[in-house]
Amino acid sequence: MPRRILLGPQRPTINVDIAVARSETGSEPIGVISAGWQEAEGDTEEVQKIVGRSLVDLGLYRRAEQLFAADPELHDAYRLRQNRLKELQRLYRQRLRQLMIAARQTLRLKGEASVIDAERRHAISQLRALDRHHLNQVQKANLLFRHTFDLEHHDQFVEHVAAIREILSRCKIVMITGGNIVVLINRLKLFGVDQLLEDKDIIAWSAGAMALSDRIVLFHDKLPQGRRDPELLGEGAGILPTLIFLPEAARRLRKKDQVRAGLLSRRFSPATCVTLDSGSMLLLDGQQLTESESVRRITWDGHFRKLHPK
Amino acid sequence: MNPSLNKLLGKGVPDEAQVDAFIAGSVFPLIDDTDVTFVYRGPADAVYLHCWISGLDTAQPFQTIAGTDLWVTTIDLPKGSRIEYKFELSTDGNRKLILDPLNKVLAHDPFGANSVCQGAGYQRPAWTQYDPDARPGKFENHRVESSAFNQMRDIQVYVPARFRQNRRYPLLIVHDGIDYLQFADLKIVLDNLTHQLEIPPVIAAMIQSPDRLKEYAGDDRHARFLAQDLVDFMSQHYPLIDTPEARCIMGASFGGVAALHAAWQNPNRFGSLLLQSGSFAFSDIGRHQRGPVFDPVVRFMNAFRENPGRPADRIFMSCGMYESLIYENRSLVPQLQASGIEVRFEEARDAHNWENWRDRLRIGLSWLLPGPAWMVYE
Repeated sequence: MPRRILLGPQRPTINVDIAVARSETGSEPIGVISAGWQEAEGDTEEVQKIVGRSLVDLGLYRRAEQLFAADPELHDAYRLRQNRLKELQRLYRQRLRQLMIAARQTLRLKGEASVIDAERRHAISQLRALDRHHLNQVQKANLLFRHTFDLEHHDQFVEHVAAIREILSRCKIVMITGGNIVVLINRLKLFGVDQLLEDKDIIAWSAGAMALSDRIVLFHDKLPQGRRDPELLGEGAGILPTLIFLPEAARRLRKKDQVRAGLLSRRFSPATCVTLDSGSMLLLDGQQLTESESVRRITWDGHFRKLHPK
Repeated sequence: MNPSLNKLLGKGVPDEAQVDAFIAGSVFPLIDDTDVTFVYRGPADAVYLHCWISGLDTAQPFQTIAGTDLWVTTIDLPKGSRIEYKFELSTDGNRKLILDPLNKVLAHDPFGANSVCQGAGYQRPAWTQYDPDARPGKFENHRVESSAFNQMRDIQVYVPARFRQNRRYPLLIVHDGIDYLQFADLKIVLDNLTHQLEIPPVIAAMIQSPDRLKEYAGDDRHARFLAQDLVDFMSQHYPLIDTPEARCIMGASFGGVAALHAAWQNPNRFGSLLLQSGSFAFSDIGRHQRGPVFDPVVRFMNAFRENPGRPADRIFMSCGMYESLIYENRSLVPQLQASGIEVRFEEARDAHNWENWRDRLRIGLSWLLPGPAWMVYE
């Protein structure tokens, strides 16, 4: 059963070396997906020194840039899709804002539970409905892109996919770094790599972990211009569908605001919202949680509790 | 009277040892909610407090405490305030300005240093202080040939950590850049905000004029230097995003005037401006009262007010409530907005000084140049 190890940011505490040691030992190279680092993709010397294994980057960011540079038509279609996604996100954000205000207000209400509970449930179900709607719209935009542009018969694209498959065939472990989650998930899906990871041992941190869920949730309560409501970005790879990963939660979340934290947890239920701060580690064999270190789950009432293996 | 002072004097005239103990056991100035009591100990004919705050007396006299060598004066300072000050000692007909000997908190500027009073509720922001986790940017020195000034100009360029030639960066032009680095901790701020992903990695050109009161006062040569010589030089030497939105000019005081003037003279060249305590003096009728150095500023501002155009799409302005320029800055906001410019204006309980400008950098820079914190999970 493939092992999945999820980590928090590798600064200030590095634990990717421990994760590698906990994985299947062997001498074969580790495949790396560092597309989230964008232009810095492949700058893995530091990681290589830490883990003491040879690394082979799949080069998803670079490959996509090469494709776009060589084929303006493909680039245009891709940009069109990205613009459509941006607009969908903007519209979703606009509607989400009102529903979030209503849901928070409802959760803060004091009074007779028999009256208020139904209102709370309904407020949250409205949020979930909007999230589902947004997810559908994003899926449609992605499908439209795939239908508009026949990538399967695009020579260069096919060559890149073959090269990626060849690298993956040599690697039992795949490491997915943090970085820009939007870029990372786009590149993973562009080359269909999300479909090729099912049987691999995976070590992923921060954005890399987020990408493995079935839904990607963007969040930050402490931006300089003020907090933003957590937003669904779209589908992840779907390898760990029951978990929503929240990297750097200690820095990003207003943990003392229990209504806010509780709403996050209830909104994405039945998935469990789990924090991944620096130094955290979560081990799963297949879908089965086996170990957890410094990882917290958010409860419906907004508490951060230790995540125990069942 | 301040409670600790009251306690000292409660049992009559304190002896020297009691005064010593009081001094050793107190943090000066004494802060009790919004009452701030300044204390000086030593011989003098008179002592005055100078804090360069518009609205307060230029020199507020201290009173002696009979039977001691203590001098005290109290002012009302609203919560969250931060002010800089000096004491003036008058002895045998001689007057001199000194730092508060009992207060080690200082702020520096090109003219020296001032003592700092951090009123109740003021806290120096954490992001203005060195963070060992933040990867440091570095500096590169260049000489830029200026056709506008017909001479070479030295600049320092801040290059962010993890700089890559194959990436494109926004350009930030900083008036009085060396002063910003020295007195407003700009390097630490850029390192920290970049590390926290609150701004994108930026290339920042620090410029320092040899004659700022002239060149920053609405001088067309300076506007040409910025828009042509400097931007061209920077584009040739660094991988910059080649759009107005990715070019921002910032400056404080006369530097704010220079930034606004350069953008006004060169529409569509710069997308955003960060203007701190801009010396935006103008006159509605008659002569202004600010002295001849402001003549060109007033000429420019009057022309600007007549025909503001659209110097940039977004402008962040900040000004201290305790500086005389607050009126001019407040006046400018609606006019810029009426021109279709997106404006954000922040007032602070502070005065015309570098630490005020330092403390507003996070909100200003992250608004004009939003970072990728929302999407990047490292």
